[in-house]
Amino acid sequence: MKKNLLYIITLAGALCSCNDFLDKEPLDAVPTDKYLLTESDLAAYSANLYDQLPSHTPGQYNMGVFVTDNNSDNQAASNPNSSFVKGETRVAQSGGAWDFGKIRNVNYFIDKVRPRLENGKLNGTEANNKHYLGEMYFFRAYIYYTKLVALGDFPILKNWITEDYETVREASKRRPRNEVARFILQDLDSAYYYMKETPPMTNRLTKDCAALLKSRVALFEGTWEKYHKGTARVPGGPGWPGANKDYLKDFSIDIDSEIRFFLTEAKEAAQIVADKYSLSSDYPSLFNSQSLSSTSEVLLWRAYDASLTPAVNHFVVGYIQRNGGGNTGWTRSMMQSYLMENGLPIYANNSGYQGDKTYESVAADRDPRLEYNTILPGELLSEGGSNIEYLVNGYGYYYRAPIVLGQNENKCPTGYSVKKGLTTDAAQGPTLPSTTACVVFRAAEAYLNYMEADYELSNSLDANSGKYWRALRARANMDTDFQKTINATDLSKELDFARYSGSELVSTTLYNIRRERRIEFAAEGLRLNDLKRWRALDMMQGYQVEGFDLWSENYARYTTPTPTPAADVTLSVVNLIESGNTNANVSAKSESQYLRPYRINTNNIAYNGYNWNQNKYLNPIAFDHFRLTTETEGSTDYASSTIYQNPGWKIETSSLPEGD
Amino acid sequence: MVSIFHIYAQQQNISGTVIDKNLNEPVIGASIQIKGTTNGTITDLDGKFAINASKDDILVISYIGYTTQEIKLTGQSSLKIELSEDTQALDEVVVVGFGTQKKVNLTGAVATVDKKVLASRPVTSVSQSLQGAVPGLNLSTADLGGQLGQNMNVNIRGTGTIGKGSKGEPLILIDGMEGNMNNLNPEDVENISVLKDASSSSIYGSRAAFGVIMITTKKGKAGKMQINYNNNVRYSGPTNLPNQLDSYRFANFFNEASINQGGSVIFDEETIGRIQKYMAGELAATTIANGNNWHFHEKANDNVNWWKKHFQWAWSNEHNISLSGGTEKIQYYASGSYLNQNGNLRYGEDNYKRYNATAKVNTQINKYVDFNINTKFVRFDLDNPIYLEEGGLLYHDIARMWPMMPFKDPNGYYMRNGKLNQLVDGGRSKTHNDNIYMQGQLVVHPLKGWNIYAEAGMRIINQNKQTNLNPIYEHDVNGNPLALAFSGSYSPGASFARAAYLNSNFYTTSVYTDYTLQLKDHYFKALIGMNTEEYVYRELSAQRPDVISSLVPEISASTGEDKINSSKYNDWSTAGFFGRINYSYKDRYMVEMNVRYDGSSRFLRDQRWNVFPSFSLGWNVARESFFEPISNIINTLKPRVSWGMLGNQNTDSYYPFYLTQSVTANGGNWLMNGGKPTTAGVPGMVSSTLTWEKIYNTNIGIDLGMLDNRLNATAEYFIRRTKDMVGPAAEVGAILGTSLPNTNNAELKNKGWEIQLNWRDQIGKVNYNAGFNLSDYRAKVISYPNASKALWDADGNTLYYDGMTIGEIWGYETEGIAKSDEQMTEWLANNDQSKIGSAWGAGDIMYRDLNGDKVVDSGNSTAIDHGDLKVIGNNTPRFRFGLSLGADWKGFDVQMFFQGVMKRDIWLGGPMFWGADGGEWQSVGFSEHLDYFRPENTASVFGANLDSYYPKAYLGDKGNKNKKTQTRYLQNGAYMRMKNLQIGYTFPRAWMNKANIQKLRIYVSAENLFTISGIADMFDPEATAANGFSNGKTYPLSKTISFGLNITL
Repeated sequence: MKKNLLYIITLAGALCSCNDFLDKEPLDAVPTDKYLLTESDLAAYSANLYDQLPSHTPGQYNMGVFVTDNNSDNQAASNPNSSFVKGETRVAQSGGAWDFGKIRNVNYFIDKVRPRLENGKLNGTEANNKHYLGEMYFFRAYIYYTKLVALGDFPILKNWITEDYETVREASKRRPRNEVARFILQDLDSAYYYMKETPPMTNRLTKDCAALLKSRVALFEGTWEKYHKGTARVPGGPGWPGANKDYLKDFSIDIDSEIRFFLTEAKEAAQIVADKYSLSSDYPSLFNSQSLSSTSEVLLWRAYDASLTPAVNHFVVGYIQRNGGGNTGWTRSMMQSYLMENGLPIYANNSGYQGDKTYESVAADRDPRLEYNTILPGELLSEGGSNIEYLVNGYGYYYRAPIVLGQNENKCPTGYSVKKGLTTDAAQGPTLPSTTACVVFRAAEAYLNYMEADYELSNSLDANSGKYWRALRARANMDTDFQKTINATDLSKELDFARYSGSELVSTTLYNIRRERRIEFAAEGLRLNDLKRWRALDMMQGYQVEGFDLWSENYARYTTPTPTPAADVTLSVVNLIESGNTNANVSAKSESQYLRPYRINTNNIAYNGYNWNQNKYLNPIAFDHFRLTTETEGSTDYASSTIYQNPGWKIETSSLPEGD
Repeated sequence: MVSIFHIYAQQQNISGTVIDKNLNEPVIGASIQIKGTTNGTITDLDGKFAINASKDDILVISYIGYTTQEIKLTGQSSLKIELSEDTQALDEVVVVGFGTQKKVNLTGAVATVDKKVLASRPVTSVSQSLQGAVPGLNLSTADLGGQLGQNMNVNIRGTGTIGKGSKGEPLILIDGMEGNMNNLNPEDVENISVLKDASSSSIYGSRAAFGVIMITTKKGKAGKMQINYNNNVRYSGPTNLPNQLDSYRFANFFNEASINQGGSVIFDEETIGRIQKYMAGELAATTIANGNNWHFHEKANDNVNWWKKHFQWAWSNEHNISLSGGTEKIQYYASGSYLNQNGNLRYGEDNYKRYNATAKVNTQINKYVDFNINTKFVRFDLDNPIYLEEGGLLYHDIARMWPMMPFKDPNGYYMRNGKLNQLVDGGRSKTHNDNIYMQGQLVVHPLKGWNIYAEAGMRIINQNKQTNLNPIYEHDVNGNPLALAFSGSYSPGASFARAAYLNSNFYTTSVYTDYTLQLKDHYFKALIGMNTEEYVYRELSAQRPDVISSLVPEISASTGEDKINSSKYNDWSTAGFFGRINYSYKDRYMVEMNVRYDGSSRFLRDQRWNVFPSFSLGWNVARESFFEPISNIINTLKPRVSWGMLGNQNTDSYYPFYLTQSVTANGGNWLMNGGKPTTAGVPGMVSSTLTWEKIYNTNIGIDLGMLDNRLNATAEYFIRRTKDMVGPAAEVGAILGTSLPNTNNAELKNKGWEIQLNWRDQIGKVNYNAGFNLSDYRAKVISYPNASKALWDADGNTLYYDGMTIGEIWGYETEGIAKSDEQMTEWLANNDQSKIGSAWGAGDIMYRDLNGDKVVDSGNSTAIDHGDLKVIGNNTPRFRFGLSLGADWKGFDVQMFFQGVMKRDIWLGGPMFWGADGGEWQSVGFSEHLDYFRPENTASVFGANLDSYYPKAYLGDKGNKNKKTQTRYLQNGAYMRMKNLQIGYTFPRAWMNKANIQKLRIYVSAENLFTISGIADMFDPEATAANGFSNGKTYPLSKTISFGLNITL
């Protein structure tokens, strides 16, 4: 008995000390409540969000941002852009743009840091702390802008929410796109207010980036509402699906005043940047320099360094150096858009245009940006000779576009190779890492945004617009008399889809503003969004993508290559096999003298051309999002979701839009 | 059996001979002791002994490997004692938690491992030998297949939890302390018990929710010193390599597939011409120049079978020595072993060396106190090419190598696509790992039947891993070196030296006491005690780039900027109190009760402690008097039943309740101020209600012994419910912006059974035995929060739903391949396939519309609305079996061991199965892949193939429509593999005696000799795992032939 008692006492004692023995807390990680209290915490948290800004992704074997425009009429890849082909875009089961991960990321920061900032609870330099808070407002605006473009109406979520079903359902309610756009502009105002002119670290955002983005967003929304007015894609428009939801039944909008509001905001924000930043005199150096820190025009750029471990580099330069491939090429439509150096369109009387039978003639006396952006035969590609077909004394030169090369990634499907980003440094040659800086925001956009917003507001151009336009032309080293261009423009002779909004031709002035934008930002990834907001894809019906004039003269570069300038090199003969034969590698001569990259093989999904479906101006929302927000959990009445589908799309996995 | 020869007289001096019953040869060195005294002797070279004893003394005759005998002296002066080998007799003792138990009294599901499965196996770890040895103990190959240093995945009775935030591995105890069986020396193993049900494992509480593997190592026995040496030399090579196409066929295959995709040819006519010439021997150069460089893919013309190129056969060897012996008061066992295992990589050799040293000393200090000490030291050195880790893509790359990619350029330098520079010159990854086990045990016996144990143990692991990256070079046409990037993450010429250190410390203490009382027919045993464990882990990895010289790949001899790769510091602890009561009446009716009260550091105080009880009953029917008439036929008949509840505290996170901030130094790729910025991520969510997973286990078993115990059988049936299981996080609307945390949200039910049959007999001089075991289980989801019964989450991961069977595969039913466009058009009229793909035609798959809506689709991918999807199979391995056959005759012995799975479906994706897959860089060409659809009047050099196995080949995404999960391509993953074949010869003692050798055996032992399987030829049914890439991209498993000898002095 005594023994038992002793045992019980021992046990009880052991139990008490056991709880201490079992109390373990993390030894090597900071609890969340001890973070976001100092300047360096804020800087680190925000640094994590920069990756989403459009730039060359480190480590990826491709041409970085310079191939983004493959999704438009400017450039073409070996494989067609499937969204221009009917039957190829379907409602997804899950995922898509209906995603809030990054928004939660930002909201977490703002929820925690803003009160701490206001209560003076943050360590470090106050201005810097404010700057990082500003960056977060910027990022929330940027994320919301991508949602606005992809989906239009979208929930406005400013805080963290809890995970219970009803809260999730409630928060999922979409707000009309104009409200979303206004929310973005508000965030950008906050970003502008908090951020510094000179960031605490290099290669970070500044307040002027917020102003530039504000002009971009406001212009996007203003022009969208203007040109899509009267469709279901604008709140309150006929068939607008939001009208069927109880929570939006009282919604009303004065669409014209909204348009005016956004265009005015766009113009004002653009002017802040345009008046402050001059244009760089050296256009190509914006894309092929190692550093852009001293380039006046650049608001934000991304740096690379291959000597770090792991290396942070891209492979853009190597792809261009390798005979101008990279799975992209300018379309004939793009090449036609360039004016002559004298400011006249190519078809104008006395323009001096020599036709496009050869590379020499197509480039003669054109807007110098054509040559800045396009590689021409005889041009130096590389001060070394690795994997380049045309070598003279160890230096690599461009001779012909790799239109028939087997590998897509090294192909130029149109015959016009993109040169933006080319530097001849042999150390950045094919397969080697490239470290050229990538421009993210540059002031020329503000110039163009201003001009466009100004014209859209007043149907005329004010003095600032004229000044900006001339500055853009002067920087490009061409004639600055834009009025001459406008007067000589004949929209019936243009190939550019942007001559339309809907099925109407726009004014020649507006068209030339759009042309200036197309040329200035070629291969910088803005084109598709421009075409969407202008509603300029309606007329893309039965459209065949074309490249260079192959069959007049250029074919000889493949079948009977002659080195020029004469040099001791042997160029391999490349057999051109016309469509219709086995192993065909080019389109048929009988069909067009121009190379049609999607008419080589009848198996190509775009063999019968591109056909746009208006419902694709907005993406569909994936099925799962409706399933998880039905009125009763687990119900199959998906229409009872608080979310509504975009016009023309169904709440059904794998379904096609109306009209496909 | 003992034969005693009476010779008249009652003398004090007794002499005798000890012989081996089977071999009829003397046993040298056997110990003869008078029971209860320290008087004893050992047999001489002729097996003879002499001892002084008085009448009524009991002689105890023992020898390692033989059943110990006791002989009561009844006046004999000369004895002939026949010792028989220690086979699994029914009176054997089984090791159970915190003690031992007579097998006859066992009421739980405990399986013991026949030591033979471990003997002379040319494998690198104990776990490889255990595969198939015990029904319900499931071992499977890890993702990296046969790569050196891999451990097998282990579970007992199937997955009890599914690895979402918690683990369900069995507890592995070596001499009572948690350890790693993979680097144990198999020769040191004395005994392995597998505790399968709750009643037998519940004494270990929360650490043993999914069973226990208890390994007991050998210890010394009193007697003359025994020296045992054994070795083997092995030759091993890959079990199975795919048949890569030659360059000509490969080029044509790719070209056709590319055209079908809508692209153009990859290999032009000129190249194909060169390929043909090279294959015909008319051309010596493997490629042509491309400017100053060599063409290395689409213009090259080599003809390499990359699989054969990269994998080879290699020699390895193993040596083992042990010494044991001792006196009445102190016994010792010491052993040492050395294993030198070479891998199968031909370029950039891989090697694994292991050193084991063991010392075990047992002392009986006095009548009341024993003191035992046990130490083990294990060191392994793993030396791999760095490319196996740092690039991480080797197996993915080998699959993607084209035969025309040159092995060497015309100047004789390795070319880039074979990754040979990376393997041979890229640097090494060397792991140096030391394990130290130290255990002490004090046993006090104050009274007869009462023991008090105090144990302390410690396991220390120190590992350092030296990794270095060297600059590598390819060469231009003039033979000038050109720096080559090691992988996408490194610029050409990059180098670094890295050192990673880890240190883990595990401490455990146990204090317990048991008391045994036999009152006539009543037997009682009680056990009570407590146990604590603590684990502390630290890790640091640092590196510095720019190594000055590749010959000195050390951080101190490098000049770049320092970087800390990782730094970790964490710990956990558990404490538990346990008790057990056994009662049996006349060895006929047995009852056992266990209880454990356990606490874990992983839960907050209010959730921390839990009680886990268990009960079991058994009935030895064969000992009943009514059984007497047939007791010569049925020797044992014991039904038993058990029930218990256990907890699983094995959460992935050691601190699942603490939300911590992830901060990554130099983590950003967006350079700021010229360098990588520190980054911090948004915290996820933490569940405030996370707690123990509770496992309810019911077991019904029966043991049967028949025909003089020549036939032994055991059968078990179990139901295991895992309640409050940590399941996949439930779905939530995307607006939340993050996924839900893991919570105890699911309930799972496993049902299964196990059968084991053993037969042992002799015909004349031939002894033979056969063993067979079979097991099966199925797991069902009882409940899971997924109201709409979605089959997959947004990332394509399988979701649970109520009533789901774990492992089910959803897919379409295949009608066949359309032989013509007309046939397809006709098919589509009633089976519209436009929702799952476009541009259907000849050579594409015809899927069946099952729900009668004339449209083939997956509905909304829920179990309610699944369109035309149905469950087409299940990937859980069913009916696992092991079969062993053995016989010996006059010193010769033969043993065979087979292992397999009788039923399993596997869906294999990716290019290893499909051939033409994601474009030219992600496709492969094996001879099987040529069996793809080619229409009538095709231009293909392979001719038409209307009755093909594969659909039309597309080099790219257009083929995806034909690769939906479907019945036609579902693979049969069942297999039977001859795991081991052994032929040995033991030399007759008479010959050996002159050389003072007690035993000498030589043998040939082979592993994985052949496999019978229905799986597609390019796969090994045991190594189909995905390893981050698609199926089959892994290091092949190996087959081995070995020669060895075993000698005892």
